[in-house]
Amino acid sequence: MIEFKQISKKYPTGQLALYNVNLTLQKGEMAFLTGHSGAGKSTLLRLIAGLEQPSDGTLMIEKTDVGKLKTKQIPLYRRRIGMIFQDHHLLADRSVFDNVALPLRITGLHHRDIRRRVHAALDKVSLLNKEKQNPMMLSAGEKQRVGIARAVVNKPKIILADEPTGNLDPELAQDIMYTFKQFNDLGATILVASHDHHLIEHMRKRIIVLQKVNV
Amino acid sequence: MARRPRARKRNAPRAKKRRNRSPHYSPFSTWWNQVNAAISFSLRRLWYNPISTWITLAAIAIALSLPAALHLMVKNMQTLTDDNQQIPTISVFLKQHISTDQAKDRGELISELSEVVTVLFVSKENALNKFKRLSGFAETLETLEENPLPHALVVTPNLRIMNDTKLTNLIRTLKSYPEVDAVQSDNEWMQRLRAIMDIAERVILVVSVLLALTVLLVVGNTIRLDIENRKEEIDVARFIGATRSYIRQPFIFGGLWYGFFGGILSLVIVHFSIFFLIAPTNRLSTLYGTQFNISGLDFSTSFYILIASGLLGIVGAWIAVTSHLRRREITF
Ligand SMILES: Nc1ncnc2c1ncn2[C@@H]1O[C@H](COP(=O)(O)OP(=O)(O)OP(=O)(O)O)[C@@H](O)[C@H]1O
Ligand SMILES: [Mg+2]
Repeated sequence: MIEFKQISKKYPTGQLALYNVNLTLQKGEMAFLTGHSGAGKSTLLRLIAGLEQPSDGTLMIEKTDVGKLKTKQIPLYRRRIGMIFQDHHLLADRSVFDNVALPLRITGLHHRDIRRRVHAALDKVSLLNKEKQNPMMLSAGEKQRVGIARAVVNKPKIILADEPTGNLDPELAQDIMYTFKQFNDLGATILVASHDHHLIEHMRKRIIVLQKVNV
Repeated sequence: MARRPRARKRNAPRAKKRRNRSPHYSPFSTWWNQVNAAISFSLRRLWYNPISTWITLAAIAIALSLPAALHLMVKNMQTLTDDNQQIPTISVFLKQHISTDQAKDRGELISELSEVVTVLFVSKENALNKFKRLSGFAETLETLEENPLPHALVVTPNLRIMNDTKLTNLIRTLKSYPEVDAVQSDNEWMQRLRAIMDIAERVILVVSVLLALTVLLVVGNTIRLDIENRKEEIDVARFIGATRSYIRQPFIFGGLWYGFFGGILSLVIVHFSIFFLIAPTNRLSTLYGTQFNISGLDFSTSFYILIASGLLGIVGAWIAVTSHLRRREITF
């Protein structure tokens, strides 16, 4: 499903974020990615999401060689993956509904189908009653759940989350993790970056530790 | 949570699934849904930012109405010259000593020229009578012993085969006859006016090109600011799989609306200006004893103005959004 073969990532600034990473995630697997700040967790997720290209090595996602994607194919590839961002990237100028609907609008769905799917996604994160609100009015946990709804509304097979519980209290954090577990139970492959050791150990899933590159 | 069981079934391993696209979506309907959304989105953006929208529209409209008004001015002057061209005659004044018979003979010969339709003989007596009547010097002229006026021939050239060089040649031929003293073409000033208008048309062309560039810049800059305001949204959309054309669409439509509505506004401005001019032109034409009706922009010209302004808007927006995408794309 997800296979890193000797992946290195060097940013244009010359910063080597990942060096010679080998990693395999099975289909339907749920795993946590941990490591020190600057170890390259976000970079690794961005590579899978198609937001960065590997500098070296082969990255296979469901039989797609991500490094060999043509510029035109990249947007279509990105739609196959649901990503929850560290800083949630919600748009302040529109309602919760419209934020969650964005991936579907991009795909060109009819507004009737959009409504149906957005409601289903909001239902899964228990936010149906907040669909008309502005996301900036929501609490941190709710914002994060809106981000999750947006990531899953397209029903991706791979869901990535970058520090989804970063500034949530422990109880809320656990809630969010259970939400991911539910999606995993439905068959999605899930990779969550987090440095909350206590929380991820509690989840009893695979834990991948990323070492910082020493130059 | 009623949906759960269905979702589970869909996600079952080895089940055939195409989750990202519903099977009944053809590429066309996908595209159409996107275009529809872009149209309503771009219109809503104009509507909810009325101040900047009106400023932009006014700038575009003013830039467009200047060449349109100039065009209209030249067109009206053209109808003025066209009207008078219906009787472009050449007056041939004969020498004093030429007798009536000699004059008539020469008239016959001239009428046989292929460029000439008719020749009218105006005797010196007729000419004097007419002059007396028109000038109001009748009594003074009565005291003259001799008629100071010569015989004249009024030549009507064949309009269908006439152009400026042929006319000049004909005048030269007429001048070369021994009986002829002077030749005067009534439409000389018309020719001069037409030459001036040729220049005016070029000026309009240059002005139009410059103002078209202005429209391009105004739309381009407005769209650029719009993009700047929505940078975050564009980035997020790119993150989750928006194509370049999806990003472009609402801005391109935005440019189209600016151009199109700016064009409509410019038509309104031009028509108001004409309305404003009707009374004084009528007064002027009655003073000159002529009938001159100022004419407005006709349907096809208005149509072309709208097409051109719409296209300018699209091109301006295209340039703005493409350059943004090019600059932004490096990072991901
Ligand atoms: N866009 C970028 N351009 C240049 N260098 C970058 C960029 N993004 C990350 N880096 C560098 O790459 C390294 C890995 O960064 P990354 O964000 O992947 O770490 P991380 O494990 O997610 O850290 P954190 O836990 O703080 O989020 C860091 O040294 C960082 O400075
Ligand atoms: Mg990070």
